[in-house]
Amino acid sequence: MVIALGLEGSANKLGIGVIKDGEVLSNCRRTYITPPGEGFLPKETAEHHRKNVISVLRDALNQSGVKPAEIDVICYTKGPGMGAPLASVAVVARTLAQLWDKPLLGVNHCIGHIEMGRLITKATNPTVLYVSGGNTQVIAYSRHKYRIFGETIDIAVGNCLDRFARVLKLPNDPSPGYNIEQMAKKGKKFIELPYCVKGMDVSFSGILTFMEERADKFLKQGYSPEDLCFSLQETLFAMLVETTERALAHCDSREVLIVGGVGCNERLQEMMKQMCEERGAKLFATDERFCIDNGVMIAQAGYEMFKSGTRMKWEECFITQRYRTDEVEVTWRED
Amino acid sequence: MADANNLKIDIEVPFPSERFAEIAYHVLRVEKEPKRSGVTKEITYHKNILHVKFSAQLARQLRVAVSSFFDNLNLMSETIEFAGDPVSSTYSHF
Repeated sequence: MVIALGLEGSANKLGIGVIKDGEVLSNCRRTYITPPGEGFLPKETAEHHRKNVISVLRDALNQSGVKPAEIDVICYTKGPGMGAPLASVAVVARTLAQLWDKPLLGVNHCIGHIEMGRLITKATNPTVLYVSGGNTQVIAYSRHKYRIFGETIDIAVGNCLDRFARVLKLPNDPSPGYNIEQMAKKGKKFIELPYCVKGMDVSFSGILTFMEERADKFLKQGYSPEDLCFSLQETLFAMLVETTERALAHCDSREVLIVGGVGCNERLQEMMKQMCEERGAKLFATDERFCIDNGVMIAQAGYEMFKSGTRMKWEECFITQRYRTDEVEVTWRED
Repeated sequence: MADANNLKIDIEVPFPSERFAEIAYHVLRVEKEPKRSGVTKEITYHKNILHVKFSAQLARQLRVAVSSFFDNLNLMSETIEFAGDPVSSTYSHF
């Protein structure tokens, strides 16, 4: 039996969770929400995490019913992400490890998403689409690495959506992407937007600029904000489905797993599902509890690392803003 | 080689015991100052006192480093308050 505590704070979500041999004992989260029209910045986000981390930790431990002495390993997000928020959470993780005399493991955030997705959906060897505010990657597993087949060459798809939400002054509560998704459901007229797939890679910054520069004009021409949200979502998601389909065909895989905050968008899931059905593949996705950044995913990835014998030297328990998915040696998979 | 940074701040933080100072030392030493911060940080402890020496060329750089140090120190103290006294006399998982 292994019990892992996971702490996550690489962006505006602060999450702490406890997992015991694949069973989620607690999964607590608090989100730093900025006013409409504004994004979250590293300094303020770190302040939010510092202010809330102890109370989220208390909730996570209480809900789990686990005593500190029963914890086997403490896991924190080593990267990638924003430096200051990552570093704040890492201070707490290191202090707990020292006080409670527990091994400490730094977890790659992307690996956390993948392993949590695999645990919840029971997908065995999926082609993974990892889409969030900071990352956009198409990933497939091969020979002990999660290999990046394609990715964004500029901004993440979630970043594109978040920043478009700012143009329309949509609230960031519960999340800008969620509000775009609700608006898009009521969109009727499709506006043709630039479509930027470059081989296996995608690019979103040009589409964002296109929208930022023309949003007012479109609104004056009689398009509704709902039409804009609809058109943007359809275009962005079509690009993601296209690249995922190509990876799927290349790997001769029968499973697609969507993870990351944008992964709980039901329109994206619907489009991906259609593609999967046409190819005789199966789509796996999770809901907002596990899609959106959370602590238990860090615990789950750390649990797998720990069980397969990975240990980290204390000197390595720092954070790093850049940390690619394919840098991690996957020691816990046999295939 | 002489230190090119001419602005310096030395901070001494007393802890209730040497063990706490040692923990603070280990928690705070691993994170290096950002490369382009222009700040060097030297951290040691002696008995129950944590010693931190900052140096930089610009006051602004020094202010950022020191203020972030105190943020972390506060957060660490809060964590200790929550988690309680250390369960062991040394850390066994270095």
